[in-house]
Amino acid sequence: MIDKDPGARRRPDRAALVIAAALAGMGVLIAWSTHSMGGAGSYSRIGPTAFPYAIAAVFLILAVWTVFAALRNDFPEREPQKFGPVIWIVGGLAAQMLLLNIVGFSIATGLLFAATARGFGRGPLWLTIPIGIVLSFAVWFVFSKGLQLTLPAGPLERLI
Amino acid sequence: MKHFVFATILGGLLALPAQAADYKIMAPAAPGGGWDQTARTMQTALQDEKVSSSVQVVNVPGAGGTIGLAQFVNQAKGDPSQLIVGGYVMVGAILTNASPVTLDQVTPIARLTGEYEALVVPAASDIKDMAGLVEKLKADPGAVSWGGGSAGGTDHITAGLIAKAVGVDPTKVNYIAFSGGGEALAAILGGQVTVGISGYGEFESQIKAGQLRIIGISSDERLEGIDAPTFKEGGVDVSIQNWRMVAAAPGITDEQKAAITADIDKMVTSKTWQDALATKGWANTYLAGDEFKAQLSKDIESTSAILKDIGLVK
Amino acid sequence: MDTFALLAQGFLVALEPINLLYALIGVTLGTAVGVLPGIGPALTVALLLPVTYKLDPAGSLIMFAGIYYGGMYGGSTTSILLNTPGESASIVTALEGNKMARKGRGGPALATAAIGSFVAGLIATIGLALIAPWIVKFALSFGPAEYFALMVLAFMTVSAAFGDSSLRGLTALFIGLALGLIGIDLQTGQARLAFGIPDLLDGIEVTTLAVALFAIGETLSIAATPSSGDERIEPVKGSVWMSREDWSRSWKPWLRGTAIGFPIGAMPAGGAEIGTFLSYSVEKQLTKKPEEFGQGAIEGVAGPEAANNASAAGTLVPLLTLGLPTTATAAIMLAGFQQFGLQPGPLLFTSNPQLVWGLIASLLVANLMLVVLNLPLIGLWVRLLSIPRHWLYAGILVFATLGTIGANPSAVELGILLAFGLLGYLLRRFDYPIAPVVVGLILGPLAEQQLRRALAISQGDLTVLVHSPISIILLTLAAAAVIVPLVMRARGQGKILSQLAGDED
Repeated sequence: MIDKDPGARRRPDRAALVIAAALAGMGVLIAWSTHSMGGAGSYSRIGPTAFPYAIAAVFLILAVWTVFAALRNDFPEREPQKFGPVIWIVGGLAAQMLLLNIVGFSIATGLLFAATARGFGRGPLWLTIPIGIVLSFAVWFVFSKGLQLTLPAGPLERLI
Repeated sequence: MKHFVFATILGGLLALPAQAADYKIMAPAAPGGGWDQTARTMQTALQDEKVSSSVQVVNVPGAGGTIGLAQFVNQAKGDPSQLIVGGYVMVGAILTNASPVTLDQVTPIARLTGEYEALVVPAASDIKDMAGLVEKLKADPGAVSWGGGSAGGTDHITAGLIAKAVGVDPTKVNYIAFSGGGEALAAILGGQVTVGISGYGEFESQIKAGQLRIIGISSDERLEGIDAPTFKEGGVDVSIQNWRMVAAAPGITDEQKAAITADIDKMVTSKTWQDALATKGWANTYLAGDEFKAQLSKDIESTSAILKDIGLVK
Repeated sequence: MDTFALLAQGFLVALEPINLLYALIGVTLGTAVGVLPGIGPALTVALLLPVTYKLDPAGSLIMFAGIYYGGMYGGSTTSILLNTPGESASIVTALEGNKMARKGRGGPALATAAIGSFVAGLIATIGLALIAPWIVKFALSFGPAEYFALMVLAFMTVSAAFGDSSLRGLTALFIGLALGLIGIDLQTGQARLAFGIPDLLDGIEVTTLAVALFAIGETLSIAATPSSGDERIEPVKGSVWMSREDWSRSWKPWLRGTAIGFPIGAMPAGGAEIGTFLSYSVEKQLTKKPEEFGQGAIEGVAGPEAANNASAAGTLVPLLTLGLPTTATAAIMLAGFQQFGLQPGPLLFTSNPQLVWGLIASLLVANLMLVVLNLPLIGLWVRLLSIPRHWLYAGILVFATLGTIGANPSAVELGILLAFGLLGYLLRRFDYPIAPVVVGLILGPLAEQQLRRALAISQGDLTVLVHSPISIILLTLAAAAVIVPLVMRARGQGKILSQLAGDED
């Protein structure tokens, strides 16, 4: 509980303020979306809009609370992050998502595999991509042929 | 390496048409549900009876089948090898979800199976028959709570139709929606709601065990093996069938449509299909061609009218 | 024939060598598929069910029972070792189990999970055989008002159990509640928070959210945190087997977990995961070492795992006696039973006693087989942790996305997975707890629907909520769950403060 660097700790926590803004934004978004929906009458006193409004209100309260926490520096200290790996992995997931229905399960998922390994510092891609594709193809074969799970087929899968 | 991958992709794409499946059936629902089971039963029957050498089933779940339908209309256009399974639930879902695509955009082939809606009360209930229910409903519509599946589904529509037929404002129907899979059944058995409404199959074993009393069924005539009067016999002019159908892609030629219809006809009369219907307890309500098309547009019309009356569609 | 003669006959069939072999194959297959991250028991059973069709009814039943238990246990294994629960019921297991695994105590964690599952499965299956009719009567007496009271109890205990920082715990819970609003409202058919995207009309899939927050969020967080590279996970520190202390700390949670899980599993609208939440809260309240909770307390694995298995057996109660499938797994089992000629319903026990008792005997045998097979394998499973991290996490993502793609191969679903994966990373980054998000997504819609149903049936009369003794008891318990810790804290404040002062160095 003792501040190691009082100077740095006295400044408000910027990231936490961003979170507070995001929470407030969520609250407004939920309330706005619910408002534009309009209610339908039923025998219940509580219609489809009651819970969304209540949750939206709590989000606004949580936003204010987070502002106070940010000003008081209540958030735990954070380690600096490496963003390279995050970009690699997110890129891998995005590539899989976009390519899945075009090139099939094996190639799309093989790319995800290689990108994730790259995110953890393992390369080179010319080696990990084929490994990933072979592994994904094996997975595809077992689940699609052996267990009748429908996984998107691409050119590679159509070879058999 | 990149060139190799590229070449593989290109080669695969070129090889694509030659190795396409004879039929590709889309089940616009998650694996396990009614439409999925219909599609997979068709797959077995078509293959076992050698009507088609290879049949593939694809699941595209979501939003009462409308997500699958939208994808089908966009991607299958003019392709006679693609089929979609669907059902009455889709008619309502298209309206309540304001779906951009409708059943007018596919080529209906045939109605395959159907199930009728049953109206039940707990054995201990003081409601003995349809007349008893109607009396209660007219006295105080709010006091009669109806337990069934999700709002806007077949169960809800049937409840609305009954109210309308006996001159009660459909918006006054106190309908309690339960998420499927027997949650409604539990509430009915526990006496939490006044009446239960759902497909007959959901209630069958409880009716036979004497824990539920069936007061009406939504068929036009009495059904074999089901000891229950129809709604019409009870003085309520409502008949409804929760059917499942198969449709082909939009924009196919008349010859292609005729060929598909012939294949489906062969499948329906096959022993594999008939046996499957018997084990699964599905009623054969096969209806093909223009008759089905006429029935479909009638259903769409009446459904959209009642959904407006209930207040689900503006 | 009386009950025991039928059960004995069931055992005779189940214990034939060929059937034991089928049980072994079933357990092995079930564990092998269930252990893959992102593939929970429901999908495991759905995938492997066709394998059983080719056998005779007795053989297929017993293999099916093996697959079922194997799939359940496989899910816990990945939760504990890799912090990647494939379904909502093993989320709680991951909380303490993964902390244990990181301290090199993965062996005892897996052992207490396996033995706890066995004990719970044994007691609950016997319960299924003997008291199913009474349990069903009790479960049917729950109407919307009683369910609402149960949900309130679950909310109160869960937020008390997860509330290390009230602000961050509550924020996480409300994120989950907000996500639970998305989709078509069951009571009125209106779309809420769907923003015109048709894929959102069915709401957020719990498994998608769980896999994204845990498996993908965890992967991103580990990749991004530099110091996690230096932290070497030792697969085994100390014994791989449970110590005497582990045993003495485990057996009571096993029994309590069973007692909580079985009746909740039997309730048509309960949900298996609620039993695990409640069990976790109870163990956290009762433990002698509260400081270990959140750091790898064995009670937090033993109790919820027992509750999970007991509630799985509990779901068989409404399934067999009423034909009511109450979970995704149960719905698939129902389809399976129909293939075996079992028509679940009120007449099943009288019309088809051989098959029912055969099934119950099969469940018991498969349950035993699972422990026999898996205890020796624990040493092997913990070796998973010694796979180099880049291959391990790449593999986790392959299987995590496989589960999602298998259920719904749409780009939008994968996009949701990616978005929530990023959310999971951000939550970890700012030290928000993850579990309350999933809890909110599960409990929120249940509580809302039950409340609205109750009020619709009563035509707006609020007194319906406290109409029955059951609701009053549950609501009182819920109030106690909030008030008692407050009072205890107020009374013991001096003591705790002095303890804190002593801790500071």
